[in-house]
Amino acid sequence: MGYSYMASDEIEAESAESALEQNVWKADKKAYRGYVPWLVAAVMIGLWWGVTALHLFPPTSLPSPGSVVHDFIVVATVGYSGEPLLTSTLYSLGRIATGFIAAVAVGVPIGFWMASTEWVFLAIDPLLQFLRPIPPLAYIPVMIVWFGIGETSKVVLIFFCTIPIIIISAMSGVKSVQETRVRVAQCLGANKRQLFRYVIFPSALPEIFTGMRVGIGIAWTCLVAAEMIAASKGLGWMIESAGNELQIGVVFVGIVMIGLLGYGMELIIRSVEHRVTPWKGKA
Amino acid sequence: MIALKEVSKFYPPTARGAKPVLAVDHVSAEIEEGEFVCIVGPSGCGKTTVLNMVAGFESVSQGEILVGGKLVSKPGPERAVVFQQPSLLPWMTVFDNIGFGLTLQEGRKTRQRDKVAQMIETMGLGGFEGHFPYQLSGGMQQRAAIARALITEPEILLMDEPFGALDAQTRADMQKFLLAVWERLRPTVLFITHDVEESIVLADRVIVMTPRPGRIAETIDIGLGRPRNWDMILSPEFLRYKKEVLTILRPPRDASQNAG
Ligand SMILES: Nc1ncnc2c1ncn2[C@@H]1O[C@H](COP(=O)(O)OP(=O)(O)O)[C@@H](O)[C@H]1O
Ligand SMILES: [Mg+2]
Repeated sequence: MGYSYMASDEIEAESAESALEQNVWKADKKAYRGYVPWLVAAVMIGLWWGVTALHLFPPTSLPSPGSVVHDFIVVATVGYSGEPLLTSTLYSLGRIATGFIAAVAVGVPIGFWMASTEWVFLAIDPLLQFLRPIPPLAYIPVMIVWFGIGETSKVVLIFFCTIPIIIISAMSGVKSVQETRVRVAQCLGANKRQLFRYVIFPSALPEIFTGMRVGIGIAWTCLVAAEMIAASKGLGWMIESAGNELQIGVVFVGIVMIGLLGYGMELIIRSVEHRVTPWKGKA
Repeated sequence: MIALKEVSKFYPPTARGAKPVLAVDHVSAEIEEGEFVCIVGPSGCGKTTVLNMVAGFESVSQGEILVGGKLVSKPGPERAVVFQQPSLLPWMTVFDNIGFGLTLQEGRKTRQRDKVAQMIETMGLGGFEGHFPYQLSGGMQQRAAIARALITEPEILLMDEPFGALDAQTRADMQKFLLAVWERLRPTVLFITHDVEESIVLADRVIVMTPRPGRIAETIDIGLGRPRNWDMILSPEFLRYKKEVLTILRPPRDASQNAG
């Protein structure tokens, strides 16, 4: 009897080990994760190509993928209106990064302050709700009058459009802290600063990240408006200007670039988020 | 020493126009230094409210609570709390969670790493110090939470149904473990449970509460001897205590009919 037990134990141990070798411990990664995004991209481009090949729309309103690739090469090498694509991309990235980082740096503390002090909330909330629905285009004249036509006005426009969502997410992140966790720190003798550092701030992080992800999208949305302010470089400027000249291919190059860069930034924030808040959704 | 003097607690009305909720009604009790006292009562009878008032999380509506002769007004490190819900901080490893009280005392990440490591061993959490709470089973999480409460060697341990969510086997293990720790460190323990057997197994004294509004029905001294012999849960004395408590919680039918 003892022998049979041992035998069955051995079999189990063996099969468990061979299972380990097959990496069963990895959370089941679905095979389609690898190809669905690429498949979608391929289908979209295929449809685009099909529609243009059948001449369903005049090429002045929907250029073919081939001609957009051609325009891309031209814009990337020769440039559009004397500005190479790389220069425009870097200018736009710089404006977005500056406006967005400033919005996070200013917005997060304001959100924390609003969540912790009632009069600050009462003072700032109406202002915030008042500013939120104003479309970026409406800011342009004000920005020009206040900040001129240089870089400042473009960055400030992006800053203003992005900061409300950052403030709101930081504020609601603090408010969503679980009372038990605050109590844990209190009954172990935490002072206010320690309570913030060890409990409130980490609790608010997941919502701040969500706010940043939404915010970076808004920042790109504002780009065209920002670069309508007397710009001579930038993806937004390129789209606006090429549109006026009916160079629809260049417009498409700009749109695709903004889409790809926005997507790239989202992926970066997502991976930082994953590293900084690995517990998100698990506790 | 903990003293509750005619303590009542009203919560604000839950609906518009409703009356305030009387959760705890004139509760008086004294708990001696080093004593292990259980409060047992049905769910919703105000046990958590009593514990939260002693911890300083909730204010007292009437009466007063004294701890070591001082009026309780806010939470303090001499009263460590183990909560009903899992309460480890998810952004800290098991090591940092257990050393959290020391970290707060020292004002920087704790230097008493040996002390934390020893506590981790004592709690049977060796090898898991680098894990995050979500990577632990419920029983291990609760052991870590108890370790966190014990590491600063508090005089008073307040425990709110800490084993309520555990399976029967783990729960029995944790009870043994808690008693062993208590024999060694002798903190004053106020332990809340709705499990009658648990209260008798653990306590020197069982306070039985009645539901809505929460009042103390009776206090029963448990003379089962220390250290507890685990076979006693089959002994006639144990069953007598159990019957006594159950009778208070659920009065025999004919008695209530006579009363009604
Ligand atoms: N914050 C609150 N606001 C209003 N009523 C509450 C609040 N907390 C608890 N109560 C009420 O007080 C009573 C006692 O609750 P509690 O102390 O949690 O009971 P127990 O821990 O014994 O289950 C319950 O009827 C509950 O509904
Ligand atoms: Mg309770």
